[in-house]
This record gives sequence, structure tokens and C-alpha cells, in this order.
Amino acid sequence: MEDNAELESFRRQWREEVTRRTKSAAATSSSEASQSAAAPSPAVAAANASSKLPSRRAAGARKDLAGESSLPNTVATEELTRQIERLRVTHEHTETEEDVFTRRAQEEPESALEHFERAVEKEAAGNLGDSLQHYRKAYRLDAGVDKAYRNKHYSHSWKKPVQPALDDLAPSVKETSAVPTEEQIPLPTAELIESFACLPVPGAEPLIEGDVPPPCPIANIPSEVLIEVLRHVALMDPAALARMSLVCKRFAYHFAHEQSIWKDLCQHVEFGLQGMHYTFACDGVGHPLHKLDQVEQYTPFPVNVPAEIPKPLSSWSQVFQCYPRIRFTGIYISTVNYSRPGEISSFQTVSWNSPIHIVTYYRYLRFYPDGSVVSLLTTTEPVDVVPYISTENVLAARPTTHKSYPRHASSDQGHLHGGSTEPVPSVAINALKHGLRGRWRLASPFDFADDPEDHSAPPSAIDKSPSFDPRDVIVETEGVDPKYRYTMHLSLRSSSVTKAHPNPPRNTKLAWRGFWSYNQMTDDWGEFGLRNDRPYVFRRVRGWGLK
Amino acid sequence: MSSQITLTSSDGVDISVDRTVAERSILIKNMLEDLGDSGEPIPIPNVNEAVLKKVIEWCEHHKNDPVTATDDDDNRRKTTDIDEWDQKFMQVDQEMLFEIILAANYLDIKALLDVGCKTVANMIKGKSPEEIRKTFNIQNDFTPEEEDQIRRENEWAEE
Repeated sequence: MEDNAELESFRRQWREEVTRRTKSAAATSSSEASQSAAAPSPAVAAANASSKLPSRRAAGARKDLAGESSLPNTVATEELTRQIERLRVTHEHTETEEDVFTRRAQEEPESALEHFERAVEKEAAGNLGDSLQHYRKAYRLDAGVDKAYRNKHYSHSWKKPVQPALDDLAPSVKETSAVPTEEQIPLPTAELIESFACLPVPGAEPLIEGDVPPPCPIANIPSEVLIEVLRHVALMDPAALARMSLVCKRFAYHFAHEQSIWKDLCQHVEFGLQGMHYTFACDGVGHPLHKLDQVEQYTPFPVNVPAEIPKPLSSWSQVFQCYPRIRFTGIYISTVNYSRPGEISSFQTVSWNSPIHIVTYYRYLRFYPDGSVVSLLTTTEPVDVVPYISTENVLAARPTTHKSYPRHASSDQGHLHGGSTEPVPSVAINALKHGLRGRWRLASPFDFADDPEDHSAPPSAIDKSPSFDPRDVIVETEGVDPKYRYTMHLSLRSSSVTKAHPNPPRNTKLAWRGFWSYNQMTDDWGEFGLRNDRPYVFRRVRGWGLK
Repeated sequence: MSSQITLTSSDGVDISVDRTVAERSILIKNMLEDLGDSGEPIPIPNVNEAVLKKVIEWCEHHKNDPVTATDDDDNRRKTTDIDEWDQKFMQVDQEMLFEIILAANYLDIKALLDVGCKTVANMIKGKSPEEIRKTFNIQNDFTPEEEDQIRRENEWAEE
């Protein structure tokens, strides 16, 4: 019966152990506790069952069985408890020191502080025995461990200066953590650009490491000369300056800060506001008018007065960006899609499908700096016709009876790249037959000083735009029939600002305000409906408006 | 009447030149007016012989040009094209081109500086940022994030 006594004592110990573990787990977390409580129960049942077996052989076998099958269960419970503890450890430490906690969780406590911490955890988990063991070990290793513990975990509440000291201890950690945050939260663009001031133009790295770097003589020239280069680039093509600002930081800085360049651009005839017309500069078909008396003409920036930045704006780049400006470097396209029901075959009594035609047509407007314009309404797609749209080609495409060669060559510099060097394809010629010549101007505040009996404007135009809007554009063209003239009232608009495009080009759209025809024989105005019409959108065309 | 003066390049070479030609340089002109023509060689410490010869060649060709008033920028501003002779003159390697620009800036020869800057501007226009970098051996010092930020900021000027 010695064996039985031995077995009995083992069972008692084991049950105590199980209860203790279950309790500690229950204290930690109720859900985890139910799991860990469920786990040992079959083992307990097995142990209880074995006690009912009287035979020694069987008891011995059960003992073996208990040793083999029940113990792993206990181990599992123990493991689970430990895992729960680790979870807690993990949770406590994530806020304070990230890179230390993973190692700590795997290791047994070694230093006094670690023992103290483990003891605190055990105590919080209700495991007083283990907790006391760890407290004792901690105090044996370091009598002042409680102070160290308080300094580590609660110093932030009363001791501010401790933090920088801790930071000093781990400067590398601080640096590596600071850099990514800086990248994630970018500087405001203005500050970013400001930080580019005085940076050198960086020379390229050598192609082969260790080789002499390739020469970068542009890096040697002083700022004032570099700015001169930028100015020339801007006056050749403002868009080229924008591309240049993406080359390196130094160029981006000058792009943003060299206001004299922007002032020059504003006063420039080809791209700037000096090239805008506020009264018609041409006759009805785009021939330049030769005025004998120089009537004082409206312009937002009179030549003889020192130019000043208009009030709400604060820089010349803003003026260039925001002021109503017609572009000569491309085409304005209005694309209209509309559907109309198709004819149902008369042979079908029941139509299962009634066809719908989707019709696409395009309106094109090309403006010239001399005040003339070409307007074209066609179904021909942009790719087939746009490169050839010019006053010359419109005239050349007309039937020979109407052909007249006006003195136009001087007014059309951009056209040289357009069509005269290469033959115009027949598809473009066919479309250009319907091209209409005309003239354009921007609205001027004097438009509304005119007497109401003025017959040069459609009667309903005033109703549509009752007050002066500097963005309004008036285009007059020939009519399809010589006795008609067309008048379009358009208004410059900007693309909407989106997150991907926070700073889109301004005034690159032309919205419709009104469209009239004027019968020159009968002095009658007729209004076109604008049901299908869409705004014109500007697209650059290679070579146009550039020298 | 047309007296000769002597210029000494940075590498110690004396070059004889007509005074009227040399006076295309406002720096030299002012120096001669202030100091008088002592017959002593005038040192040009920032310009070496090869570049100085090139600059004098330009001045020789343009010695009869009307001198534009220095503060009247309108003429320069209006015209962006370069006459044929100047275009040929500027067909040099990039290092020489920028040396000429530097010399013109130092010697205060506005018209030559202008031709140089226009030549550089012509090399820039119509090129993408990457092509510009390649042309001038400039390294891209933006981070991708910065480049994107600047691109979005400057997008308005691209048309």
C-alpha cells in the first residue's frame, strides 16, 4: 500500500497545483480563466477515475498514464498562464520602450529591476507566492530597487527633466524615429522651398564610382547670372520654366522667389497680360485695324505708369497665375457628346431594340496675339485636325472662288510650325473648309459705359452678364452664310482643385455665356441654344505661340 | 587715334587689343576713364587666356554695335533670338560657354552676357527636367516626396 500512499500524495499535490494555476489564471482574465479551467478538468477526471481502480498493476499503469498524458496538460496550463503574463508584459511596455520588450518577454528576469517588475505583475495577477519570490530576489539583488522601479515607470508624473536624460542615453534611437516622422509630415511647401535658398546646383555623380565626376559648369555661375538664364527660359516659354523648377532645389527656389521674372512675364506681349486685347484689334475677319486716332485703350497695366501688383494679390507670380489671360500656345477644345434616338426600321412592327446614336462633335478656337481668332465646328477628331488649324489653312481649304490672300503672314508667327512646311492631310482640309475667321477681346469695364442703343452687341447679352467680369471673352466670327455674323460670349474658368492637383493651371477653360447670330441684312439677332455645349478646355500644341 | 592697350590674362599672357574694342567691357572702360591710360598692362585676374581671346573676338565683331543704354532692359527683353554670327560663336563646349558667361559678367559686357544666357536658355527649353539634368550634369537633389510636392505646387505654370 506504500505505492497507493505515494500515489495519493502525488494526486493531492497535483490537484493543489491545478487549482492554484486555475485561480491565478482566473484572476488574470475571466475568459482566459475559463479556458485554462476547462483544460485541466479532463485530467482531474482521469485522476479521479484512476483512484477508483484498486489493482496495483492498474494503478501503476494509471500512474504512468498520469505521468504521460496528464502532465502535458499541466504543462499546457502553465504555458498558457505564462503566455497570458507575457501578453500583459507586452501591453505594459509597448508605450514606453518598444525595442526592449520583445527580448524581455522571452527571458527570465535577471536584474533586480526585472525581478521587481515581474513581482509587480504577479501581484497584480493575484499570484502572491510567485510575486513574493520575485520581490525577495529583487531586494536581495538591490535594496533600493523600489526607487529604481518608481523612477522608471512613474517619473513622468513628477520628474520632467529625467526624460531628456533618457533621450540622451539613446540618441540614435531618437534620430531614427525622428526622420521617418519628418517624411510622413512634409513641410509646408513655402517653407520647403525657403529651405532651398543658397543651395548649390548639385553636380552629377560620376558614371563609374570613384571616377572624376562629369563637369557641371552651370554650378559655377553666380545667382544673378543664373536668374538671367531663367528669365530667358521664361520668356521663351513659361512652361519650360515650370519644368526647370523640377530639376533641382536651387532652381525651384528661384522659380518661386524671383519675382522680377514673373513681373517681366506679366508685362510680356507673347505670354503675358500686355498681349491681351480689351477692345477689338482686328476687323471682322481678323485683319488688323489701323486706327488713326490713338484712342486711350483700357489695359490693367498701363505702360507709362509703374506697374504695381493689383490689390488682393501679393506677388507677380500670382498675377501671372490668376489674371485673366488668353493662351496662344495651343488650342481650346469643346467636346460635345449627345445622343439622339435612331430611326426604327419600318419593316419591324415590334422593335426590340431602338438604336441610339451617340454623336460627338468638337468646337475649336485658336486665338492669335494680334487679336484674330479661328473658330471651327467639326466632327473631326483633334488628332486629325488640331495641328493644322490656322488662319492660312482655313483660307487655303476654302473653295477657290472665295479664296482671298490677305496680308496675314506677319501676324501669324506660330503658324510656321503648323502646316505650311508639310502638306495638310485631306481629312484636315475637309474639316478646315468650315473654319471661320474672326476676332477676340477680353471684357473691359468700359463695355458697360456704352449707351444701350449700341447695336454691336446682342440685346440679350447684358441680361446674361449684367456686370463687368474681367474673365469674360467676346469672340466674333464670320457666319456660315456671309450675311450672318456670330458672337460668342465666353468666360475664363479654372479646373477644379483636387487633392492630386492642388494648384492646377488657372483660366484654361472657357465656359459659355451666350451664343448669337446677327443677320447683317435685316439687323436681326438670333440666339443659339446652348443645351449641348460644353466648356472649351485649353490644350497646348507643340510649337504654337513660340519662336 | 585708336590706341592699343594691353590686357594680362589670369595665366599671365599679355594680349594687345584696340582700346575701342576693349571698351565694350564697361569694367575696362571705367578703369581707363578713372585711371587714365598709363600704357601699363591691365590685369584681368578672373579670365584665362583662352577665354579672354574668345571674349576679345566677340568684342572685335561687335565693336560697331550701338552701345545700348545699360539700364534699358526693354531691348534685351523683347528679342529672344540670337543672330547667326553669335550662334556660331557660341558653338563651344559647355565649359567654355559658361567661362565666357562668367567673363562677360565680370567684365560687364551686357550684350555678350545676354547672348550666353540665351544660348543656355535655348539648351533648356523644350526639355524635360531629366533631360535638363542630363544636359548640364546636374544631380537631382530632391527626395521623391519633395519632387512630387514641388510638381504639384508648380503645376499651374505648366500650360
